[in-house]
Amino acid sequence: MQGIPGNDDWGVMSSESSSSTMVDKGLKGGSLGLVAVIVIGVASTAPGYSLAAGIGGIGGEVGVKAPFIMLFAFVPMGCIAAAFYYLNKADPDCGTNFTWGVRAFGPKAGWLSGWGCIIADLVIMPNLAGISGQYLVLLVHEEWANNIYLTTGIGILFIIAMCWICFTGIELSARSQVILLGTEVVVLAAFAITAIVKAFHGVTKTVTVDGADKVYKSVKPSLSWLSPSGVSTTAITAGLVLAVFVYWGWDTCVSVNEEAEDSSRTPGLAAIMSTFILLGIYLVTSFGSVALLGPEFLADNSGEAISAVGKVALPNVFYKFLLVAVLTSAAASCQTTILPATRTMLSMGSHGAAPKKLARIDRRHLSPDFSTWLFGGISVLWYIVLVVVSHNTSYKIYDASIAAVGLAISVYYGVSGLSCIWFYRRHIFTSVKNFALIGFLPALGGVMLIFVFIRTIDDKISADHSGDGSVILGVDTTLFIGTALLVLGVPLMLWCKAKYPAFFNFKADPKDSVPDPYGENALAKPLGTYTKELTNVG
Amino acid sequence: MSGEIVVGIGTDGSGTAAALYAATLASRMKVGLVLVFGYESSVLAPGRGPLEDQIESIGDELTAVVRSAIAEAHPDVRVDVELVRDRPAESLIKVADARSAEMIVVGHGGAGPLRAALLGSTTYELVHRGPAPILVVPDSDE
Repeated sequence: MQGIPGNDDWGVMSSESSSSTMVDKGLKGGSLGLVAVIVIGVASTAPGYSLAAGIGGIGGEVGVKAPFIMLFAFVPMGCIAAAFYYLNKADPDCGTNFTWGVRAFGPKAGWLSGWGCIIADLVIMPNLAGISGQYLVLLVHEEWANNIYLTTGIGILFIIAMCWICFTGIELSARSQVILLGTEVVVLAAFAITAIVKAFHGVTKTVTVDGADKVYKSVKPSLSWLSPSGVSTTAITAGLVLAVFVYWGWDTCVSVNEEAEDSSRTPGLAAIMSTFILLGIYLVTSFGSVALLGPEFLADNSGEAISAVGKVALPNVFYKFLLVAVLTSAAASCQTTILPATRTMLSMGSHGAAPKKLARIDRRHLSPDFSTWLFGGISVLWYIVLVVVSHNTSYKIYDASIAAVGLAISVYYGVSGLSCIWFYRRHIFTSVKNFALIGFLPALGGVMLIFVFIRTIDDKISADHSGDGSVILGVDTTLFIGTALLVLGVPLMLWCKAKYPAFFNFKADPKDSVPDPYGENALAKPLGTYTKELTNVG
Repeated sequence: MSGEIVVGIGTDGSGTAAALYAATLASRMKVGLVLVFGYESSVLAPGRGPLEDQIESIGDELTAVVRSAIAEAHPDVRVDVELVRDRPAESLIKVADARSAEMIVVGHGGAGPLRAALLGSTTYELVHRGPAPILVVPDSDE
């Protein structure tokens, strides 16, 4: 049983009155077992939805080498998870990379890092809504799937419903989550294995596009798909930006470490187990989807790749199961998009980096109300703008948003990796373990992601876009969405700096104040302890 | 030392009537009262720091109101407060277990039939899993 501080002095209580009341705060549960933490990690990554949204683009960028990219993209994401784990030990603030950025590099860097996280979450919302709308319609009545008003309407309702769920804090019990996730994994595995078997037997599909027949043929799976040979760096980078998105959310299982029953063992073990589960799922499904009708088929159907391949691979009943698996996965993914975004907003409001209203929480549901509905409202607007623009023009904004998310993730994860090594610089060289886990891994992950970010921008700028409709105002669509929103953070930050100078007087944590992550007390002093001296006196 | 009465306090104001009723019992039985405020925030995203601080201060305020009502009606009853980060039912079970409580007292709670059916009702769960006798007190209508 957990020790309850103060329980012992029960015997010496005075009987006079309730003035002797003692208040125990946060009997810290530690109620999540190993299975629950694994489920949280895998469900947050949402493999079904991630594949549905990402595999088309990945197939388009790297062709049959999709399995290699799936494996390779895990490297930076896994490395950054180590950074999350250790930074979380020093400050488990719900503002995560915002708070850590402030501690490592000061208020401006922290503010922008928090902004990067919010933007990544915002940019993916239309895609989540779009896929949910589309797959729900496919499930009910296939012919309606091209009705943009219907799918968009459902998508908007989906965003509102998910915000409401996050606001009221309704959560499925651990058991229902295990069942849902189990079904998702089994359905995906069945889909992938059937697709691989069919590909060995050979499948062809003829599609009539603009009066001309286009024939897609299956490709025999080969182990060489796991090697990078023959893929250009540009293609690898373009594939990585997309695949980074596929693993996004996996780090949740390391940041719930305080909730775990045995917090010294469970999160690490859960991270390893969920990694194997995810790698397994992504490997077989990418083999299956690429092999069945070739990568070109994926790229040509990038909007609904999994459904298009699934229809060929599976009998109708199982195909419907696959659609359901993608839908439940999208719902889980939406929760793990809204919650981190609104909690980052709450943290920023609470630490005085942004309007106080963002930090307001509803007294009944104990969740941030203003932030949740603000985020939901902007998501709906952003979704409508994207649908309207991509429907009425040849701009491929909708497809480009996955790559744009990849860019935003690369930046804010990259900054988190660098924050970790800089924040813990005093402790990196004290042991081999520290060097490997706090120094090397976060540095490797951070550098890889920042490289992907810079290289993508460079490639997109130098690419020739004449006539392919992927340009807005002369700039590549991905780049436009990804960077325009990130850059918008700078004037917003300056506005906040003028309005909330106290926060911008914070200083990064001094080197010597950073606690040993394996010490008695690994917690850093509260944010705002260190400020620039001039104003500190007053 | 054991035998205290554990009372659940909810964010919806449920539990006030239960706490006053429990205080009457505690006064007669000459035992202490423990107010339990169980809260949970989704584990799908980190929830520490300012979020938890705010939730705890709401728990403080809610229990302070109940405490002062009890102090007025039954000044002889000692009242402890536990803020527990877990589902309300789980919180009550944990505290009752740790303190070897005499009984657990809860209000009806604000869960409607639909919510209760989907997510389980605290009272129902307590009746089946509770380590001590359960008393359910109707919430007053004020």
